[in-house]
Amino acid sequence: MKAKAKVTDGVSARRLGFGFWLAAGWVLFITLAALLAPLLPLTDPTDVGVGGPRLSPSGDWLFGTDALGRDVFSRTIHGARVSLAVGGFAIGFGMIFGGGLGMLAGFFRGRVDHVIGFAFFVLLSFPALVLAILITATLERSLLVVSFTLGILAIAPVGRLARAATLVYAEREFVAAARVLGARSGRIMVRELLPNVAIPMGALTLLGMAVTVVAEGALAFLGLSVAGDEAISWGKMIVDGSGVRDLQQSPHVAMFPIATMFSTVLALNFVGDRIREYFDVRELAF
Amino acid sequence: MAGSGRVQLRDSEDVLLRVEDLVVEFPVGRKRVVHAVSSVSFDVIEGETLGIVGESGCGKSTVARSIIRLNPIDGGRVLYEGDDLAELEGGALRRIRPHLQMIFQDPISSLNPRRKVRDVICEGLAVWGDDHAVWTRSRIGELMEAVGVDPRFGDRRPHQFSGGQCQRIGIARALALDPKVLICDEPVSALDVSVQAQILNLLQDMKQRYGLTVLFISHDLSVVKNVSDRIVVMYLGKVCEIGAADELYESPVHPYTRALLASIPEPAATVDVAEGDIAGELPSPVNPPSGCRFHTRCPHATEICRQVEPTMARVGGGDHFAACHHPVLGPDPTR
Amino acid sequence: MKTIETPRSLLEVRDLQVRFPTSRGTVHALDKVSFDLRPGQALGIVGESGSGKSVTARTLMNLLPRTAQVSGEVLYEGKDVRALAAAGAKHFWGVEMTMVFQDPMTSLNPVKKVGEQIAETLRYHLGRGRRDAWAEATELLGQVGIPEPAQRVTQYPHELSGGLRQRVVIAMALACRPRLLIADEPTTAVDVTVQKHLLDLLDRLRAEREMAMILITHDLGVAKGRTDDVAVMYGGRIVELADTVSLFSDMRHPYTEALMRSIPRIDDPSHHRLDPIPGRPPGLMEPPQRCTFAARCRYARPDCLEAVPELGGMVGLHRFSCNHPVGTERGRAALATNRAAGINATGLPMTETIEEVG
Repeated sequence: MKAKAKVTDGVSARRLGFGFWLAAGWVLFITLAALLAPLLPLTDPTDVGVGGPRLSPSGDWLFGTDALGRDVFSRTIHGARVSLAVGGFAIGFGMIFGGGLGMLAGFFRGRVDHVIGFAFFVLLSFPALVLAILITATLERSLLVVSFTLGILAIAPVGRLARAATLVYAEREFVAAARVLGARSGRIMVRELLPNVAIPMGALTLLGMAVTVVAEGALAFLGLSVAGDEAISWGKMIVDGSGVRDLQQSPHVAMFPIATMFSTVLALNFVGDRIREYFDVRELAF
Repeated sequence: MAGSGRVQLRDSEDVLLRVEDLVVEFPVGRKRVVHAVSSVSFDVIEGETLGIVGESGCGKSTVARSIIRLNPIDGGRVLYEGDDLAELEGGALRRIRPHLQMIFQDPISSLNPRRKVRDVICEGLAVWGDDHAVWTRSRIGELMEAVGVDPRFGDRRPHQFSGGQCQRIGIARALALDPKVLICDEPVSALDVSVQAQILNLLQDMKQRYGLTVLFISHDLSVVKNVSDRIVVMYLGKVCEIGAADELYESPVHPYTRALLASIPEPAATVDVAEGDIAGELPSPVNPPSGCRFHTRCPHATEICRQVEPTMARVGGGDHFAACHHPVLGPDPTR
Repeated sequence: MKTIETPRSLLEVRDLQVRFPTSRGTVHALDKVSFDLRPGQALGIVGESGSGKSVTARTLMNLLPRTAQVSGEVLYEGKDVRALAAAGAKHFWGVEMTMVFQDPMTSLNPVKKVGEQIAETLRYHLGRGRRDAWAEATELLGQVGIPEPAQRVTQYPHELSGGLRQRVVIAMALACRPRLLIADEPTTAVDVTVQKHLLDLLDRLRAEREMAMILITHDLGVAKGRTDDVAVMYGGRIVELADTVSLFSDMRHPYTEALMRSIPRIDDPSHHRLDPIPGRPPGLMEPPQRCTFAARCRYARPDCLEAVPELGGMVGLHRFSCNHPVGTERGRAALATNRAAGINATGLPMTETIEEVG
């Protein structure tokens, strides 16, 4: 069949579905809880011995208490702050640098592509953990440094996707048309390519955030997550609760942050995927 | 075939666009190049429609895209109002762009799916500012009406329109900058048969209304004849024959032109159907044949065709030129 | 319509209807499609995109997606083809009935030698031995006019030009000596000189093998020169069906007439004003029960909006579905009334060259 044009009335008929709203609602809930944590009537998450140690979940202590008698519920809510912040910052960093470089590579091709492509290659080949250890060991383990570390790791995968998406659209005749109209390269990238590349990228942001949230957990196991008792993260909580004795005597201490992290990561993936499908404008149909 | 030479160029003051010895080559690795366009010359007089016809691989689209510098040019000149477009770079090239606009083959691919069609049409104005041309953002509705797109649908996106409508939008986008030259690269080949005529008529109307000079590229001989004043027939990067549309179809002299006219499902009355049976396959443009590039498939080819490239020469007394050692002259072919 | 068992028919299609349920409604891809095919006959199916011509081919070839709702009857030599499909017949499609697609790469495996691909067909369907199959593949390539078949047989599809690839596909389709070949736009992707070669080849093979052919095309010229009969499809229906000569000299359906008038012809003088069909092809989503062409038709009268006109006339004769056929008294009267009113029954202005606006 020749590529022939048909009128489609696509968007109105496609729906996001109940699952999407459930997942999006969860993400929104967690985000709000994280943002508003200091204002919520919660016990101080760093307060030692507010309840007894290793209390099981009950009416008083919703998620129970940990080995030091801290409120696991309050800690889980506060932990979202660091986990989500690290995820957000890191992926934002990856998007801006990776996405920008990827688009440049895909648009200009040739030498620019070679140089950027090589840089991505190096980043991908470099053992991620070694890089993370290197950076966090040299610099202080602050929120920004940890985010930055994970952000650097996000550059290459994000950049490659941006490059691939840009390549696809740069071939399209509307880009040639803009060039013929006299638009400069910058304008073409912003007006013609960015809106098209942004959709797959946007979906990737959420997926990437999911990955980063998990990665923060991994760093925590190496003791390389954000330092200090003040900085609570899901990863650190899971580490705290996963000693053999802890798991035997008070599995809830690790289970609650794990469950929260799991459902959040799942929701982020789901939302990202559905958004990508939804905005995947169909240009040909019946 | 393989016509180099420039006798077909006209010495008129009205010549708006003049292509001289255009060469375009694409590298394909290992130091090999595709000889896409090899020394092609033609001109277009103001207000004229020049058709370029030929089969895939003949270089017709490459010629079009080179003129507006979507491809790099490897040799020759493209003269437009005293400027050599082949030499222009950067700002100077950008400033000349509004003069030469283009209609693309695939109406869907040539519109950005994420932009509203009004923004698509206004893009040229957005680049150059409202005071640039005849059209302004506020008057864009008139232009949309002129090309047959309801201005009330300006907020819709391209996928909500049919292929024919998308092509109209593409035409409006090109016209918004009030161009002098409109280059149409297979503008109707992706459209349904019943819609093609609408677009062809529209192009004709727009040409008259806005005083356009048109370069019309197509593989469809009937379509090209319908729209063109003068026609260039190309084969494997070279010009075979140039002439006034009716004259060229009435008495084609180049064996390749004759083969084309004999191959179409309802062959032209002026040729013998058997002339469509040209032998063999299209040679590779990486390593084109010596002498006349058509000699490997030409029924009239002799030794000279293998050795010497024919140059363009006048045929008869009128506006008709061909590059062939053995042109098929007279009312009846030799065979 | 009664199904008349005539021994002369190779294929009888009766009231074929295909619908695709989608989230946005039901697509009426085919409606009441009926035609006959004699052994050795070439039937052209002409139409634009969405007319149903390719769906017809795919229905016959049992290539529709599972979601398709099919009704009607397809008899091949009196056998119910749809029952064959249900029974999972292995050696019907590809043996008795085969198909050539527009894009040869649809049927070719890019990582297998072309000879292997043809030989595989022979071994699977006809149970040939490895060596015999290979020899036969080489011979077939020669029969379809491929130069140096012994050499080509060991090449991969990407080493061949588009025209040669299509020849390989034709060789593959003909390997099991089918009695019916369905060619779906076989030459749309190739240049005119190659198109001529391929159509000449199909003509020759058809005559040599007494094979029937359904040639699906959007190009009236192709149908005119290469078929015995032509069915014109529009909006999922056959609107006119006749022998090729009468169809082109004496067309009855306004769509056929309008289509022929809208196409530039090689012998027309240049700048000859074209006579376009106004509007656009109809949507297939839940179409209203009226003539699908009425909105674009100069002959349309109020009765065209009341019901879908049936494909009238006897099987084997010139058939058309129109209340006011071209070249008849009723047609002339309808045209005159509409001209006088300045609009047709759907409000379409009757200007000679009507442009689509909005």
